[in-house]
Amino acid sequence: MIRIVVALLCLALPVLAQGNNPARDTLNIGITQYPSTLHPNIDSMVAKSFTLGFTRRPVTAYDANWQLICLLCETLPTLENGLAMRETTPEGRPGLRVTWRLREGLRWGDGTPITTEDLRFTYDAGRDGATGMGPAEFFRSAYEFIAEDARSFTLRFDRVTFQFASLGDFAPLPAHLERARWEIEPRSYRTRTLYDTEPTNPGLWNGPYRVTQVQAGSAITLERNPHWSGPAPAFRRIVIRTVESTPALEAQLLAGQVDMVAGELGLPVEQVSALIRRTGQRFRAEYRPGLIYEHLDLNLDVPALSDRRVRQALLLALDRGQIVARLFEGRQTLAHTSVNTLDWPHDPNVRQYGHDPARAAALLAEAGWMPGADGIRRNAQGQRLAIELLTTAGNRSREAVQQVIQAQWRQIGVEARIRNEPPRVLFGETLPRRRFQGAALFAWVSAPESVPRGSLHSDEIPRAERNWSGQNYTGFRNAEMDALLEALPQELDRERRRVLWHRLQAIYAEELPSLPLWFRQDAHLWPAWLDGVRPTGHLNPSSLWVEEWRVR
Amino acid sequence: MIRLILSRLAQIAVTAAILSFCAFMLIALMPGDPIDLAIAGDPRLTAEDAARLRALHGLDQPLMARYLAWAGAVLEGRFGHSRLFAQPVAALLGPALVSSLELLGLALSLAVALGVGLGALAAMKPATAPFVQGVALLAQAVPSFWLGILLIILFAVQLGWLPAGGEGGWRFLVLPVVTLCFANLAAYARHAAAALSTAMAEPHIRTARAQGAGERRIIWRHALPNAGVPLLTIAALDAGALVSGALITETIFARPGMGKLIYDAVMGNDFNLALLALLVVAVVTMLATLAADLAQRWLDPRIA
Amino acid sequence: MRAGLALLGLLLLAALAAPLAGAALGHDPFLPDLFSRFEPPSASHPLGTDELGRDLLLRLLHGARVSLTVGLLAALAATLIGTFIGLMAAWRGGVWDAVLMRLADGLLALPALPLLVILAALDPAMIGLPRGEASADILRIAVLLAAFGWVGVARLVRATALSVLARDFVRAARAMGVSERRVLIRHVLPELAAPIAIATALAVGGAVLAESVLSFLGLGIAPPAPSWGNMLANAQELVFQAPLAAIWPGLAILLTVLGCNLVADGVARRQGFSTRGQ
Repeated sequence: MIRIVVALLCLALPVLAQGNNPARDTLNIGITQYPSTLHPNIDSMVAKSFTLGFTRRPVTAYDANWQLICLLCETLPTLENGLAMRETTPEGRPGLRVTWRLREGLRWGDGTPITTEDLRFTYDAGRDGATGMGPAEFFRSAYEFIAEDARSFTLRFDRVTFQFASLGDFAPLPAHLERARWEIEPRSYRTRTLYDTEPTNPGLWNGPYRVTQVQAGSAITLERNPHWSGPAPAFRRIVIRTVESTPALEAQLLAGQVDMVAGELGLPVEQVSALIRRTGQRFRAEYRPGLIYEHLDLNLDVPALSDRRVRQALLLALDRGQIVARLFEGRQTLAHTSVNTLDWPHDPNVRQYGHDPARAAALLAEAGWMPGADGIRRNAQGQRLAIELLTTAGNRSREAVQQVIQAQWRQIGVEARIRNEPPRVLFGETLPRRRFQGAALFAWVSAPESVPRGSLHSDEIPRAERNWSGQNYTGFRNAEMDALLEALPQELDRERRRVLWHRLQAIYAEELPSLPLWFRQDAHLWPAWLDGVRPTGHLNPSSLWVEEWRVR
Repeated sequence: MIRLILSRLAQIAVTAAILSFCAFMLIALMPGDPIDLAIAGDPRLTAEDAARLRALHGLDQPLMARYLAWAGAVLEGRFGHSRLFAQPVAALLGPALVSSLELLGLALSLAVALGVGLGALAAMKPATAPFVQGVALLAQAVPSFWLGILLIILFAVQLGWLPAGGEGGWRFLVLPVVTLCFANLAAYARHAAAALSTAMAEPHIRTARAQGAGERRIIWRHALPNAGVPLLTIAALDAGALVSGALITETIFARPGMGKLIYDAVMGNDFNLALLALLVVAVVTMLATLAADLAQRWLDPRIA
Repeated sequence: MRAGLALLGLLLLAALAAPLAGAALGHDPFLPDLFSRFEPPSASHPLGTDELGRDLLLRLLHGARVSLTVGLLAALAATLIGTFIGLMAAWRGGVWDAVLMRLADGLLALPALPLLVILAALDPAMIGLPRGEASADILRIAVLLAAFGWVGVARLVRATALSVLARDFVRAARAMGVSERRVLIRHVLPELAAPIAIATALAVGGAVLAESVLSFLGLGIAPPAPSWGNMLANAQELVFQAPLAAIWPGLAILLTVLGCNLVADGVARRQGFSTRGQ
């Protein structure tokens, strides 16, 4: 009987085997997350911005060289070219008046021209708190929208910031489709928007591609947008597949079901370099240092950690170079502060902490922590130098780093108790409520030259009265830092700003509210035949330049 | 009979109501609400934004009021909107349920068939018993997250015969079905062996044997039909556990089914979706149990 | 049966011997060594090293302590709760029976895993357990698994108890005026011993496996403490880089399940009935 089964299997198997013929008009991209919504202004997540990069263009974006450029507009407004002007707000405060002009011939996927009416709709919807768009800071600051004509619009801001030319998420929404829906009842707009109820409507999209099929939770299919006015993209169809398990994603890549893995939401660097070693010429990898800042936030209200010398000792005890070399094959950029070494405000002369356990031990002794019988240091009151060490549960690469950190701290007599939580609990409760008694290992993602006000200003310490908003989880208070964080955005002169940035980094490196580890590199994995993808390393994804992607 | 059915249906309704309340409280117990998460993900959200969004999503209401509002809406047939997928909950459940029924139905049938086959094999040919036990043991000891990835590596990466994951035609179903089936195989092989040996001791089998019927005929014609009844009950009772097990299979094979949907909804604090999905699975399972009970009574009138 | 007990005894012995083996080999199984990652088996590392350069054999032995404790605790707790509830349902009957069994049905009908995940994510400090201690982790997971694991035992106990309660010798005892408590403890429980023992033995293996599934979802025993489950889950992630990493923890789980099955079968055979279906 078994023999019959085996024989049957042998007969059946060739039928199962279908050759996957690489007809290169479809590109299958694997990512590890599914976007929760396709509406550009509700919720922000990487999977969504990656997907929308193909189908929708913002007015301005940062390019692969971390420079702000125009995508839908003609020229970036500056004070010099007169498109931006200082003025005084009706309340008598210093303000700005900035004008952008849309390029000619822009159309939605159904052929309707893109006009300032579309931007006015974004403005109206965003300014109405009931719409449920995420951050309203931009809309509060931009107190007036003026449509100069069909292509030019002006925004008036009630404050002066050096990033005035960047419109960020403020991009046209199709007023001809969405305005009526929104006006019926703004409160329930987010459940009725066409972006989620009928995402295949071509009129929603203005990028080189439009969405043609959505399989909730697993795949989004894009096809060329016939009304795209820029250069035609190479692939007729792009399928973005979500595979959350990284070994399964690697398997799909090897099996040819997925052609490339997007670095924005892809495989860990060490997995990618191992894959490249095994597969030879079949794939190419590019490791792009990005603005993802892996660090340890320290709760400064924990008595032991409130002492600067202890914090410095904790950093001196870490052999970050060796961790990066061994666990990540050297493919992470060591951080000295939260300012990326590739970002122009970085100060190359900022204080750097090498691996120096002896100096760390001396600092701890100076702070009153003496070696105890069990190898853990104690202070004069007999308290042990023991803190918690948290990270996101289930993230194996962070858990590995965490265990090495625990061991290296143990060597200078500091006990770290590991307590990991799922991301939802860590980011939803423990960090914002500051319920961690020690250090938390996680990452911040930012844009080029972004002022770290949220994580360093003393007003941003989460408190119940502030609805637990703010990301200063460490509880860092420093009057000079507060003043710098307030002065920085308003300083329009780049060289004077550089001075402020250097001072900010000096304070950071001295005070160490968080221990800098490294800036993560994204591992972009492409088939050997794909060319022209330019990873950016920040929040604007590589998909914004999909028309440059080519088959080799 | 009718009274029995009605009473059981009433019991199921009450249980479902209690379960929904417990599940709601359990999910609410887990720290961190959706707005906290949004704040952590987006530094630009201010205190005012947080208060505004909480009010908009009704998260500023007390727990009990939120539960009652949800229950009231569901009773009126308004299942609400999934925050996580930005879709009406009903529209999400449909495809997930179909995908799961496909996967679970096939895996369960295969597991029962193979289990009974193995059980019968062991009963017919005692020499094969160690082999059957070995298979059952392996099936019991190999976690499905490990088996799944091994099958993918072998059949999708090395041999290239089958897709590594995703949804599509029947080819996409083979590996996940095998994985899930294997995880449940041991239980059915055990149940089948037990039911068979019980059935073999029944008087009518002894009669048949005395009349000179062949051993094979006895098993297929007499013992198996008898043994099938308890197996049916066990299979029905297992439906809920099977959905749990499917979570792992669905994660590895990137199939958006019920297990994955519930897990994502729970982890993403998506009350509407999580509650309704849990409830649907629970009610379907309880109805299946009831149907199996009724079938058993009908087939085997000895059970009072 | 004897083989099963011997196997389980050997595993327990190995778990107890973990510190001795550590002393003999001279490594710390919790201390990462970045310079000896993924080393092949050698004289100083009989099974090689893991992704953080720690000795695999020692981690396996320490993992045995964690995994077997979780398995035994969870199985015993589930058996205790299940026996009590099943017995109550059978003995009191009527509304009690209906309520308890609907509760059991309901729990069985709910997909347990997503709910286990919620419970696993709760802050242990909320229920008075210390944070960041492996022992607290073990207790937490054992409690969770027991909370859903008792249902099967309860159904089994109820069914068996019902048939025992209807037997002549119980009726005779009751007619002679023996107290209900005495009837339950002296007459019914002994009859239940064998099926309960079998259910417990089988539940141990199930719990060890369930812990590995929780580890796969990132909610098992926290690092750096090893358990077979989290070793296996780690190995799954590294399947392409170190395909052999799964063999040892996998084998350990297999042996545990085998031992438990042998014991269960042995009990069943000794009692002269086939309860393999339980």
